[in-house]
Amino acid sequence: MTLPASVTPPTKADRELLAFANSAEFAARDLYAVAASLALFNDDERAMLVGFHDHHRAAGQSLAGIVGALANNVRSDAVYNAFRGRLQGTDKNAVLDALRELENTLASTHLSLVGALEGSEGAALVASILNIEARQSVALAILTGRVLDDALTNSAVALSPVVGS
Amino acid sequence: MNRFSRRDVLRLGGVSAAGILLAACGKQAGVEESKNVKSIGVMPETEGLANVEVTDIVLLRTAASLEYNAIDTYDAALGLGVFAGAFAAAGDIAKRLRDDHAGHANAINGLITELGGTPFTCGNPRLNEIYIAPALALITDADNENPALDVVVLAHALENLAAQTYQGVVTLLSDRDLRRAAMGIGQDEARHAAVLAQALNPGIAGVLPSVDADTGKPNVAAVPSAFGPLTPISVTVGPVNADGTRNSLILETPSLNSLAYDDVVCA
Repeated sequence: MTLPASVTPPTKADRELLAFANSAEFAARDLYAVAASLALFNDDERAMLVGFHDHHRAAGQSLAGIVGALANNVRSDAVYNAFRGRLQGTDKNAVLDALRELENTLASTHLSLVGALEGSEGAALVASILNIEARQSVALAILTGRVLDDALTNSAVALSPVVGS
Repeated sequence: MNRFSRRDVLRLGGVSAAGILLAACGKQAGVEESKNVKSIGVMPETEGLANVEVTDIVLLRTAASLEYNAIDTYDAALGLGVFAGAFAAAGDIAKRLRDDHAGHANAINGLITELGGTPFTCGNPRLNEIYIAPALALITDADNENPALDVVVLAHALENLAAQTYQGVVTLLSDRDLRRAAMGIGQDEARHAAVLAQALNPGIAGVLPSVDADTGKPNVAAVPSAFGPLTPISVTVGPVNADGTRNSLILETPSLNSLAYDDVVCA
């Protein structure tokens, strides 16, 4: 019996891509912190937002672990600023919609990374994060009363990795 | 009169036994040679297992087989006629998810063809035998009080299994484009699982992990953890047994004994 090659570690180029993912995840963490601080959410909703915040933090930390010294462990301001302006006001569903779009954007970005990473170790970690962000997007779609197709499809455009910074 | 001492008797007995043993082990006239251990009589030839290779094509054929498992399960569920009344909406979801799986199967088989492999167009026989057929038998048992709910429970488990399988093969596939294609579908399966989780445990209480206060067992969650799990999936379905319990099946992602190798064909 011939088995596939064992798990391969990230290359130098992989680590730069994963460092980008690390900063994108920390941007999502901070965006959820903003959302959870808004007065328009009740305790149950806030608990969910804090839970998603924790998932993004865990994702960022795991990516940092695999990236090593290249991880800067700070949020991507580009990602943060792209969504921050929509996390305000009195329309609860509008805020949750913005977060759903954030999840879909990150899912698309991670899917793009899975196809770009050479080492399977990094690709596997990103894949495990991607599956959870897809689920979080579904939860947000259902909670805002969107149609089934909105929960099941992801048409968000992937972020372009900023590497070598 | 000959007299043998006790020592002589033991010595003679030992020599005789050794002779019989050597005769048994030796080559005998009229007896075919065997590649097996030396033995008296004719032994059948042993045949080694075929040397199989876990290639990208095999992994993709296995993924395709899971898609057909899902299609068959949804078709069986829809055929039961249980999606009526309060479960009518679940029937519409089941149709949509079944159609998605058909699209996935076509996409995966297209990749297999591009790689020079043979598409796999039926459910995984091993998974069908050990998971799906037993589960459907329990669900359709005449004593089962809620087959519609159990069908959704089984579908949720199968969607989780599919999501885990695609996530798991990322480390096994050699080609980056194939990894991306696999996770494009894996993401869809994760979304399916989350939708069905919300059908089973609706609302905000069903989003993150929680525990049933009465039973102490974990509730179904749309987002079960911070990272996509690769753990066995427990499914409890069917009628209540005499001792008050229900049967549980433990589903695991395809392993070496359930991959769709090149020589595995649909019946």
